[in-house]
Amino acid sequence: MNDLVWKPAAELARLIRAKEVSPVEVDEAHLARIAALDGTLRTYITVTGDAALAAARRAEASVMAGETLGPLHGVPVALKDLYCTRGVKTTGGSRILADWVPSEDATVVSRLADAGAVVLGKLNMHEFAYGPEGLNPHYGTPWNPWDATTHRICGGSSSGSGAAVAAALCAGALGSDTGGSIRIPASLCGISGLKPTYGRVSRAGVLPLAWSLDHVGPMCRTAADCALMLGAMAGYDPRDPTTSVLPVPDYMAALTGSVKGLRIGLLGPFFMESAGETERRAVLQAVKTLEGLGASVQEVELQTVKLAAAAASAVVAVEAYAYHETWLRKRPEEYSADVRERLRLGAFVSGADYVNGQRARLLIRDEVDAAFGRLDVLVAPTTPIAAAPVGAGDVEIGGERQPLRPSLIRFTRPFNVTGHPAASVPCGVTSEGLPIGLQIVGRPFDEATVLRLADAYQRATDWHTRRPPAAG
Amino acid sequence: MESLTLDELRALARVQGLDLTEPELARLLPLVQAARSMMETLRDVLPRDAEPGSQYRVL
Repeated sequence: MNDLVWKPAAELARLIRAKEVSPVEVDEAHLARIAALDGTLRTYITVTGDAALAAARRAEASVMAGETLGPLHGVPVALKDLYCTRGVKTTGGSRILADWVPSEDATVVSRLADAGAVVLGKLNMHEFAYGPEGLNPHYGTPWNPWDATTHRICGGSSSGSGAAVAAALCAGALGSDTGGSIRIPASLCGISGLKPTYGRVSRAGVLPLAWSLDHVGPMCRTAADCALMLGAMAGYDPRDPTTSVLPVPDYMAALTGSVKGLRIGLLGPFFMESAGETERRAVLQAVKTLEGLGASVQEVELQTVKLAAAAASAVVAVEAYAYHETWLRKRPEEYSADVRERLRLGAFVSGADYVNGQRARLLIRDEVDAAFGRLDVLVAPTTPIAAAPVGAGDVEIGGERQPLRPSLIRFTRPFNVTGHPAASVPCGVTSEGLPIGLQIVGRPFDEATVLRLADAYQRATDWHTRRPPAAG
Repeated sequence: MESLTLDELRALARVQGLDLTEPELARLLPLVQAARSMMETLRDVLPRDAEPGSQYRVL
């Protein structure tokens, strides 16, 4: 297999700009790899090989002509299949939209194209993004590349994005995150992922799960690549009225390698004490590493995060039901049973419960903001457990059986509720060799500090450079 | 809050225009009961002056 596919996006962009490799060579290598591995991994729903090669040839011509090149020029990326793509079907991982071909691109898709990225295709996901395991009965559940023998979940809902990046079937991907759907697959697939602040990146042209909780962001093998992609995507968009007009900083310039003086809050009981022992130890070791790099660490306890589950459940149930109501009445049989049932739940949540969910969000947000008065970032495990086998309904955490689904989103969902930026980077492996994720949360619109810490950690460790056994 | 019964769920579903079979209603009932019970906790803890907020200081 061509080793080019394992190079970070930033390195590929540099090599292409320097005419050391051709975008055609890079994209052909990725497409060959998809052809070889994706029959098993099931990460793509649609591969746009011909269009990708045509774009790569145009990118090559631009390089040779000495034209001004975007920061992602020639870099192969892939999109969770809920980003609208003009002329390319966008299924949302569903049968309902199996043949839907949008007439325009999502804003972020246009922005990635403007930055020179080459889109390889559309990635598998939990149906309509409604599930943290990343299962999909319609297109096949993606296989977590960290276990070559047991079919394990990739985490969701951006399961195809997580597995495709981990297995080097693209250099970077877009995910979306309503309760953890970027960070959970990043954690379970051993890659880096960033959920930006609510309002930092446009959601226009992205199929919603719950408008007020949905975030879109990059998933890559390194934090630096997430910074590169975020810089190309972020910023005000008149098509999404919730986007901020705050200027977009140079995220790559923020990656100084230094965390000296940064004040880290290690999130206490709700997070650390309900994580598995191996996950807890890995996070404590990561914190020790960061301390060794010059950051200071103190424990912090957030009292109101225990309300996040109820708040998020009320909001997601009602917003998702509102979006799906007509289809649920007219075409219910086209949903998988599990997703259909949970969508229907929203019909029985009252308006008062929905508003109470939104009221609770403000309480939680205020407490998190108060913590940021004395701290620069917060850290915790991304998930309490590593990747479970497909079909597992519950898992053992700290000697007790716990239901899988709420366990997976327990640590990530609070920051969808509050809107703070949050990343996940690999920080260890279990005894079975499965990745563990470190979650890093920042102040609103301070993705730069989150990425700086994540990048500095990756300069000091090698967890993000390991290759999964099922990735050839 | 009193626990919802299957009959009440059936009636609510009808009002919502959802045509659910008996097995579907039976599977949905524990989900609805659990959700209502979880959301009840919010009612108990929210201060009266807490306002709704759905997005972060969009500037």
